[in-house]
This record gives sequence, structure tokens and C-alpha cells, in this order.
Amino acid sequence: MRFARTLYIVVTGIVLCSLVVGVLTEWQGSDTGEGWLFAGYVLRWDLVATVCYVVAAVGVILLGWQAVGLAGKITSIANRINKKISDLQLPIPDSGLKNSNQQSAVGNINDLDETLNQWLSSCSDYVRGFESQVKDLQLQIQLSQRREKHTEAIIYSIRDAVIVIDEFDKVLMANEAAGRLFDFDYKDSQHKPISELLNSNHQKFVELLSHSLQAKGRAVRQEIGFIKDGKPGTFDCIISRVYDRAERVCGIVAVLHDITREKEISQMKNDFVSHVSHELKTPLASIMAYSEMLCDGEADDEQTRKEFYSIIQSQAKRLNRLIEDILNVARIESGLIKVNKQPLSLTILIEEQLQMMKSYAGEKNIEIISPKPIVFDQVYADKDMISQVIVNLLSNAVKYTRSGGTVTIKTEVDEIANLARVTVTDTGVGIPESEIGHLFEKFYRVEANKEMAKGTGLGLNLVKQIIEKVHNGRVFVESKVGAGSTFGFELPLATEVVEAVQK
Amino acid sequence: MSGKKVLVVDDEIHIIHVVAIKLRNNGYEVITADNGAEAYELALKEKPDIVVTDFQMPVMTGLELIEKLRQTEQTKDIPVIMLTARSFAISKEQQDSLQITGCLSKPFSPKELLGNIEDIIYQKELMVNK
Repeated sequence: MRFARTLYIVVTGIVLCSLVVGVLTEWQGSDTGEGWLFAGYVLRWDLVATVCYVVAAVGVILLGWQAVGLAGKITSIANRINKKISDLQLPIPDSGLKNSNQQSAVGNINDLDETLNQWLSSCSDYVRGFESQVKDLQLQIQLSQRREKHTEAIIYSIRDAVIVIDEFDKVLMANEAAGRLFDFDYKDSQHKPISELLNSNHQKFVELLSHSLQAKGRAVRQEIGFIKDGKPGTFDCIISRVYDRAERVCGIVAVLHDITREKEISQMKNDFVSHVSHELKTPLASIMAYSEMLCDGEADDEQTRKEFYSIIQSQAKRLNRLIEDILNVARIESGLIKVNKQPLSLTILIEEQLQMMKSYAGEKNIEIISPKPIVFDQVYADKDMISQVIVNLLSNAVKYTRSGGTVTIKTEVDEIANLARVTVTDTGVGIPESEIGHLFEKFYRVEANKEMAKGTGLGLNLVKQIIEKVHNGRVFVESKVGAGSTFGFELPLATEVVEAVQK
Repeated sequence: MSGKKVLVVDDEIHIIHVVAIKLRNNGYEVITADNGAEAYELALKEKPDIVVTDFQMPVMTGLELIEKLRQTEQTKDIPVIMLTARSFAISKEQQDSLQITGCLSKPFSPKELLGNIEDIIYQKELMVNK
């Protein structure tokens, strides 16, 4: 093909050159003599022109011949295509065409069209299938992203500190609680080594994390202590290992739950049980010892026996009071006690309790003074409980006041603060400054004053529970050693409380 | 065991009273104190044969009293029986380190206490005679 093309170009070039030379020779020959001198011969201009014309004519004949041959080839190819198409023998659809040749051609084309359509249709199906899969994948990606966001939101919102680190001790995720606990910026903690984020106070935790990466099993659980907000705290630390598909450790998740309060409560419970056990066993020890002595005949005379009976009886009463106090305190603390609040006049209630206390005070030659207010303002309170409070305060005042002293009980109203206030002031032994802060604790008794009177150590605690926990009031105390003490409480006035309840 | 001296220490007056009656009825001489500090002074002065002390007391506890007795030459060998109303108040290690000879939980039997005292004094006399 390339040779033929080249040949056509060369022949065409020769023809053109010959024509040009022939024309030029004729034109030149008329002006410049007979001919061109070449190798001793004279080439006549008219002869040269004639030769050129002959060459050009031969070239044209050759080109014409080739053109005819090319046309023949094209015709042959067209014939072959036509033959191929006719060989397909496509069915002729009932198109209403009258010419059978035309129908045959149309039928063949239709079949080709249908085949192509089928092929295109199957391609479309594949494409649709791919599109569907792509959509599914996109949906899964979206769902996965949403799940990740939800998980992050959960981790960031929980109150326990959560830290996730990879197998190289780099932080993958830490929530706000972890940032607060360990004092680092949790938003800026990703991909940083955990040892960089924690300080020397948390060395135990860092060691625990390292140990957890190496240890066997799925999880490690340990109590660990940190300083939190300047105070020692205890945390229940659970560290879970994360495994990849090849069962290799690829990270750990540490969750730290603050159990400081639970520990404190547990310790308080243990202390309470220990105290209660001691307080209950003490009178019981006396009851059992004296009972045994009586049974063994160790009380020789009637007077001794009477003394033993009296002691057993008093210790039994003491035990009973103690049990009642313990139960009342426990009921109030647990919220199980039944409270029956109603509008009460504190002044009238005090008057009722004074009738019982005056005989006790009279035995010790102690005067109880109770100036009566003009207006008997009311509070909204449980009558039995407030009576108990008044009895406890009056009883303490009389117990710790020496013979000849006085106890004064007053009520007053603070109209600005909408409060009713009751104070019990004695001229007793007073309480050291260092012990005032402990007075309302369970079983607490002032060391220096223990000899003056017996007590369960629960009376003031009960007062505090009743006034503050049940009635939203306040208890207070002032005291000076050798001069006496003032104990008191405040309660909201009934009008204030009723309005609040109605709202 | 007549003539043997027992120092009874407890802040509960009724406990002191009943123990004193029981011991005196069985021939013991009884001296009493209601706190650890007073008991220590009495121990130095009276040199009792045995000390019976409560665990929880004001001013000085029973444990503190025993520690002080063990640190003092004149009183370091006096046997001690501890009375306590608290569960698990004293560990075995503490008992051994302070040489607490016996431990009774409250409420206790005066008869049992007497039995313990007699055993301890008997053992002590055996050691002395050897």
C-alpha cells in the first residue's frame, strides 16, 4: 500500500515536471535559438518539448490506469459487503413493505438492532447492578460513619474517664472526663504517647496500661488511687484488650470509674456498724454479767440483789433507747420514715415538752426558763419529730448543767428570712472549740463531758437529721467552756412552705 | 489464788462493779480505773499480778495502755486480758506483738473471765517456780 502510494506520487511528480519543462522549453526555445548544447550535441527546443509532452502523456495514462484499477477494487469490496449482508438472511418483519428485498434488508437490520439492544440491555443490567452495589456501599459507609459518630458521642458523654490507646501506647481517643481527671486537653490528645499526657502522679496507671498490653486474657481490673481536685480519690480501673483478626493485641480501652464516694460510704458503714456494735454490746454486757451473777448466787444479800436488778433494768432501758435512736437515724437517712407534716405552733409544742422536762430538771435543781412570745407563728412540720428535737436539746442542756444552773428556751421569728428560730441556752460546762464541729456526728460525745452524763451519742445527730434532712431547716451551736452552750434550729414559716407546695 | 492483785480498767462503771464483785468473791484483791492513763499510774504504783482492760476508753485506750506497760521495765511482764465490744478489734499479729495474754468479747461471762485469770496466774507461777 505504501509503495503504491509512493509510486502514484512519483508518477504525478514526473507528469507535472514534464509539462512544466515542455512549456518552458517552448517558451524559451522561441527566444534563444535552436536548442541546448549537451555533450557536443545540440538538443533542439521543439524536440525537448515534444519528449516532455510524451512523458507527461505516459504518466497520465499510467495514473488513469491505476485509478481504474482502484475503482474496480472499491466496487469489488462493496459487492462483497452487499453479499455478506444478504447472507445474514434476517427475517423480514411485517412492516407492510411491498418490496421483498427491502423487507429482507429491514429484517436483517432489525435483528441486528435487537441483538445490539440485547447486548446493550445486558450491559445496562450490569451497570445497574454496579450502581446498586455502589449505592449499597455508600449506604454502608454512611451507616458506619453514623455508628462511629454515635459511639464517639457515647464515649464523650459518659462520666467515666475513657482512654483508648494503640499497641504503641499512642492515644486513639480520650473523652472529656479523662482530660479532666488527668489534666490534659482531650481534644488535642490523639496520636500522642500516653506517657506524655500523664504526669508523675499517674505513674501507676501508666505502668498498669503497659502491663495490660503484655498480659494474657481479655481484661484487667484494679483499684487505683489518684489525686482528684486536690483530694485523694479511688478509681475502679477496667482495662480491656482489643484484638485484631489475627488475634494480636492492637490496643487497649481503659475505663476509670470514680468509686471514692462509694469507698467513703463503705467506710462510714463499717464505722457505723463498729460503733453500733460497741454501743449495743456495752449495756448488754452489763445485763448478761449481772444476770449470771444472780443465777450463780453471787449476790449474797437482798440489798445486793436489788442493786443488781436495778442495774439490769436501767441497762435494758439504755439498750432500748439506743436501739430506737439507731433505728430512727437509719430510717431518716434511708428515707423510709413516715413523715406527717402539719401546721404547728412551736411555742405550744415547747410548752407541752416542758411539762415533762421540768421534773427531771427539778431533781438537779436546774431552772428552765421559757419566755412566751406574743405571736405564735406556725411552722409546717411533723409534730412527733419536732417534739423529739425539743426533748433532746432540753435533755442535753439539763444533763450538762450543774446544780443551780439555768436552761432558757426561746422562740423567735425572722420575718425577713421567713424563719422561726428556737434556741436552748444553758449555763453548763460548755464545749471545747475543737469539738464543736463534730457534735452532730453519729456516736460523737465530748470527751471532757462524758463523765457528767451518759448518752448514746446519737441525740444530736437525730436532731440534725430531723431538722435538716426532713424539714429543710438548719441546726446551729455556740459554746464556751465554763460558760455554757446555745443549741438551736430554724424552720421555714408555714406560709412560705404552703405557698411553695401549692406552686 | 487468794491475795493476787487484779487491776480492772473500764470506762463503764457497771462492768468494773460486776467484775470486782466476782473477783473479790473469789479471793482476789481488786483495784480499778476508768481510763488508760489512770490505770498506768496504778500499775506502776500497785504492781498488779494481772491487768484486765477494756479496748475503747477515753484519755488512753486499752491498746495504748498495753503498749506503755510493755515499754516500762517494771510492768513489761504483767499479763493482760483485753475486753472488747468491737468485732475484729485486734488482729492476731497485734496480740502477739503486744503480748496480750487473753482476749474476751463483750458481752462476756464473769465466770469465764475468772477462769482465764486463774489459768494465767497458774501458768505464771509455774514459770516462776521453774
